[in-house]
Amino acid sequence: MAANGTSVSIQDLSLNFGAVSVLQTLNLDVAEGEFIVLLGPSGCGKSTLLNCIAGLLDISKGRIFIKGKNVTWEEPKDRGIGMVFQSYALYPQMTVEKNLSFGLRVAGVPKDDIAKRIARAAEILQIEPLLQRKPAALSGGQRQRVAIGRALVRDVDVFLFDEPLSNLDAKLRSELRVEIKLLHRKLQNTMIYVTHDQIEAMTLADRIAVMKGGVIQQLDAPQTIYNRPVNRFVAGFLGSPAMNFIEGQLEGGTPPMFRTGSVSIPLDRYAFDGAGNKGGACVFGIRPEHIAFGEAANAMPFATDAAVEIVEPMGSDTLVWTKLGGHNFSFRVEAEKTLRNGDPIRIGFDPARASLFDTQSGNRM
Amino acid sequence: MADHAVSAAMPQSVARADASGPSGPKPRHMFSRRNIFLYGTLIVVALYYLLPLYVMVVTSLKGMPEIRLGNIFSPPLEITFEPWVKAWSQACTGLNCDGLSRGFWNSVRITVPSVVLSIAIASVNGYALANWRFKGADTFFVILIVGAFIPYQVMIYPIVIILREIGLYGSLTGLVIVHSIFGMPILTLLFRNYFTSMPEELFRAARVDGAGFWGIYLRIMLPMSLPIFVVAVILQVTGIWNDFLFGVVYTRPDTYPMTVQLNNIVNSVQGVKEYNVNMAATILTGLVPLIVYFISGKLFVRGIAAGAVKG
Repeated sequence: MAANGTSVSIQDLSLNFGAVSVLQTLNLDVAEGEFIVLLGPSGCGKSTLLNCIAGLLDISKGRIFIKGKNVTWEEPKDRGIGMVFQSYALYPQMTVEKNLSFGLRVAGVPKDDIAKRIARAAEILQIEPLLQRKPAALSGGQRQRVAIGRALVRDVDVFLFDEPLSNLDAKLRSELRVEIKLLHRKLQNTMIYVTHDQIEAMTLADRIAVMKGGVIQQLDAPQTIYNRPVNRFVAGFLGSPAMNFIEGQLEGGTPPMFRTGSVSIPLDRYAFDGAGNKGGACVFGIRPEHIAFGEAANAMPFATDAAVEIVEPMGSDTLVWTKLGGHNFSFRVEAEKTLRNGDPIRIGFDPARASLFDTQSGNRM
Repeated sequence: MADHAVSAAMPQSVARADASGPSGPKPRHMFSRRNIFLYGTLIVVALYYLLPLYVMVVTSLKGMPEIRLGNIFSPPLEITFEPWVKAWSQACTGLNCDGLSRGFWNSVRITVPSVVLSIAIASVNGYALANWRFKGADTFFVILIVGAFIPYQVMIYPIVIILREIGLYGSLTGLVIVHSIFGMPILTLLFRNYFTSMPEELFRAARVDGAGFWGIYLRIMLPMSLPIFVVAVILQVTGIWNDFLFGVVYTRPDTYPMTVQLNNIVNSVQGVKEYNVNMAATILTGLVPLIVYFISGKLFVRGIAAGAVKG
């Protein structure tokens, strides 16, 4: 990531549809060449935000800067953006070549210049053999490549992706994900990418903005978001299989203890956030892959006995469900381990890798 | 693996050797009860609708003496095209005795501009309403739709006055304007719904590509909407060509459309009823919508098929 200046800057942006507030005083700065992923469940406003940046939606309040220029009132074409849509949005009556050149022809770019740019884009995306075909004669992956090409030929500063891989099957999705990553490395453009797929977000992003209800919950590097989620929503949204959440009480003292049912977890190794240990009702969260099993469990600061309830083999590894203090609790073991329902097991983990959330506010403690 | 498990579980795997049981596609019999009912009904209904046309064609090819014999179903003994020629160029309506040809050209001069004008305006209306959600778009749309439900008869007299005031009463131009206006609500609705059903992202992509209102309409939307244009043309050509009410109210005898003239020929109370001429004149008048159906029907199917595979 080349952090030389701000590429896109969104300042106090609000958007209301009538009485419904979709985005609320949202601020976001995207560095030059950065790959930002807007991640969130459907209806969280991530696509809306992207459309605002593109200029396809008129905003209610705030300002948008692209490359230091205030583009709040500019038309989409004057913002220096290229956009890739979920449904590809290729013009069905035009060949691939005409699709790519449409924007340039509208702008009145000279013919030989158009040809040059198309040749370059086609080469980068490896769609040269497809140039004379109509979109109907292309596969989903090829269509999305053409759609990316349409943004590419326009020589824009910022690429906007609106769930570009959601319409593809799983295999193609992972292929194109890698291609987009390679494309970003090659072009070094700023890219803003909307998705609800956490794997896409984790693999592609320099920084992820997790959104909910029109508000950015957390904006950080993927690893930080994964390991230190700021609230319970972010913690639950990222990670598959999902983080284990256990409701209980936090007790002060040395060491501070988390109690639920008959289980007490010492928290002397847990790094409290800002306000520190306030005590009271809280939720203890730990990811299934941070739990040790069998021999390794005894080496952990916290270990306990449990019994296998259900085993879910996933091929690469196996998810085991058990109970901890009366709560459902899952953890990951290697695929080779053969466990049967009812087997007694020993599990343990390091509370330093856990996350504590206030039950009331859901914020990290 | 699975196969083994299955056959092992079953005591006798369902006799493979027995080749006599049903296998492959289920045979269908041509003269099954279902087919007899289906095609029987279709044939009866088709005959019922074709019989009047048959009588018209046969009668129009007979001379008057033969018609007086009264065998309306019998084919002509002596085929004559005299009635057709008379209907086209000699039949008298009021003072003019130049047949339906005058009315035909009047109708052409009414229908062509009305169809073109109304579809051109309505398609842009529909496009603007569907894609450019301007302020008051919904109100405008509601007003337009309400317009579709007001009976024509209510507006006939006010329009007569309006046309008289702007000096277009009795002229073809006046009638063209009237037809265009009355076609507007239903056509706008048609186009709006069609454009609304087109993927919104296509429109957004075109905007990002820098195309404006007319650019998107002409270069993106228009080429994708052949089917709906064909539907609109069928609707308007048949509607305007078959119109009688506006034709008789807003034109003068020398600018009467074909339908009005046909009525005057068929309903003339003087002299002998020339059934053969009447039949020929009626077929001639109905020929245009018929041709439109045949030509555009084919295009229509093709248009829908082309639209179905869009990306």
